[in-house]
Amino acid sequence: MEIKQVLRNLSEASGVSGHEHNLVSTIQDSCPWADEIACDKLGNLIMLKRGSGPEPRPKVMLAGHMDEIGLIITKIEKDGFLRFGTIGGFDQRVLLAQEVLVHGKEPLTGVIGAKPPHIQAPGEQSKAVKMEDLFIDVGFDSQDEAAKLVRVGDLVTLKRDVVDLQGSFLAGKSFDDRAGVAAILECFKALDGLSHTADVYGVATVQEEVGLRGAITSTYGIVPDIGIAIDVGFGDSPGLPESDTIKLGKGPGIAIGPHVHPKVHARMLETAKEWNIGYSLDPSPYPGGTDTYAIQVARAGVATILLSIPLRYMHTPIETIDYADVKQTGRLMALFIAGLDQEFVEGLTCF
Amino acid sequence: MKTVLKQLTEAFGPSGYETEVTELIRTMIEEHVDEIKTDVLGNLIAVKKGAEDGRTIMFAAHTDEIGLVVTHIDDKGFLRFSNVGGVSISTLVGNRVRFASGAVGAIYQEKGSWKELTLDKLYIDIGAESKEEALEKVKVGEFGIFHREFVDLGNRLIAKAMDDRVGCAILIEALKRIEDPNNTLCFVFTAQEEVGLRGARTAAYGIEPDLGIALDVTLTGDMPEARRMDVSLGKGAAIKVKDSSLIVHPKVKELLVNIAEENNIPYQMEVLEFGGTDAGAIHLTKAGIPSGTISIPTRYVHSPSEMVDIRDIKACTDLVVALADQDLSGI
Repeated sequence: MEIKQVLRNLSEASGVSGHEHNLVSTIQDSCPWADEIACDKLGNLIMLKRGSGPEPRPKVMLAGHMDEIGLIITKIEKDGFLRFGTIGGFDQRVLLAQEVLVHGKEPLTGVIGAKPPHIQAPGEQSKAVKMEDLFIDVGFDSQDEAAKLVRVGDLVTLKRDVVDLQGSFLAGKSFDDRAGVAAILECFKALDGLSHTADVYGVATVQEEVGLRGAITSTYGIVPDIGIAIDVGFGDSPGLPESDTIKLGKGPGIAIGPHVHPKVHARMLETAKEWNIGYSLDPSPYPGGTDTYAIQVARAGVATILLSIPLRYMHTPIETIDYADVKQTGRLMALFIAGLDQEFVEGLTCF
Repeated sequence: MKTVLKQLTEAFGPSGYETEVTELIRTMIEEHVDEIKTDVLGNLIAVKKGAEDGRTIMFAAHTDEIGLVVTHIDDKGFLRFSNVGGVSISTLVGNRVRFASGAVGAIYQEKGSWKELTLDKLYIDIGAESKEEALEKVKVGEFGIFHREFVDLGNRLIAKAMDDRVGCAILIEALKRIEDPNNTLCFVFTAQEEVGLRGARTAAYGIEPDLGIALDVTLTGDMPEARRMDVSLGKGAAIKVKDSSLIVHPKVKELLVNIAEENNIPYQMEVLEFGGTDAGAIHLTKAGIPSGTISIPTRYVHSPSEMVDIRDIKACTDLVVALADQDLSGI
């Protein structure tokens, strides 16, 4: 299957933080290039592609998170409407009037209801609706009926199919960061035609959206020499300053900042230039927001870098990417890995 | 249970200074466990050995309580202070504080409106008439706790530090009831939870269990005009789904629900939108440890009058006892 189609399937599947198990088989069935595939205790999916040559071989970890932000049922009201909270940082303004899937005893379609404009108080439309005032309507007519199929703590995801826009643009939910997972698959595929000494651990991490949790434990288990996190970066769109965004269709953002090892950064730029791969320089002064940081400070420390796939409308159900950027990100990583040797890894401690 | 709870909740144990509590617990349990020790952070670790084919479960309940720390003593003998853990200003004015030395003081505020009240506008009056007299009782850097008695209201109980001495009391009761468990059980009475899950982090690293379970309090939504929360006092053990520190491993959640169903233990599902427990630290230890939390529904958490229900305590204890012998091979 085309990896682009795998990404479509992943985008439309459900895998809220802590509940990513539904995605595992889709990813592992799409990765015939791995020598070993296993899940760890927190659910991280780890795909190992061994390098050639004698040990010690460099160990490279690629991390793209497979979890998505979602909703969680907090209360079933007397009339059967469902109240909810969030898992991860949802923009509550975009929730109104969405179709959702309530993952109860069986998947149930619901809608997030809204007050008709006709009977709103003056000025109400100019204010954002508060999360605590929103509710899901599954069509139950009583609390008892709802309680047969739904209980407090059940998860809710947005119901949204991927759509093709012009060129190779795609819009849908959860491209943050299943586009990163697709980039890892593209990398593995490209590596298959290259010779590389490094052992490559492609990790679809869990629970990034609630605190980089899967990256913390998977890095501890893998003990890599180099960690590459692949996440999404703010794509260019009207109203956003150029300085805070990277352009869609121009290749990945290559981060520079305190969570990026200078030598890994320099080598990544050289690789991009040598192979004519487009990129944007992506200044990243605040290290907390991606798996990069969790990998960097694991154990005795790991040399890390962040590659960002440009994405518009982050944390909404219409996240928009150019699939060409996913492909280029995978290709850049593969060529970077193919150029690694033990000497480069040993040089990482010399500043 | 009520006697144990009274002793535990009235003991002195702000974060970092839990010794009085851990020593009290040690005397209560040492004859019921195979091993007992304290680690360098002040965690008390008691072990009941299981069968050879069993797994290791770490139960955690924290011994520390929120409190205050003296930052300055002025010329007239009044104390200024900072918080230790999540202390709410609204619970402080008119409240009383007790220090390790036994000195007790009243907390009050400078003039000004309630709305603009901040911690630096509050002071502690320990009855001293001068700085010298104050220094005979308390020094800068000393930790204090709420000064409150345990009260028995029948089914419901009020005390300070119910968070999380009620969790400690449940583990004490459970370990007395459990004989020859199949799994090896590490009962960890953890230090410094209120300041960032610190004791559980190091204890879990040392133990490296197969399953981590925290026993801690959770909020309820059953009071007048309360924030929406579908947990009530008296409706049973709360099985956590998520909080800010942890998304409970789905298999651990299902295991706890199944045990409760099979043993007719009353339970309710808990979604806590703020706050965390020791399980948050345990599950991120080393390469990851599946973890969950059994919560005790508690009203007025982090106030000097935390209220719990004895029926919920029984349900939580029953759940711990039943979990101890479970086959964990599926997790």
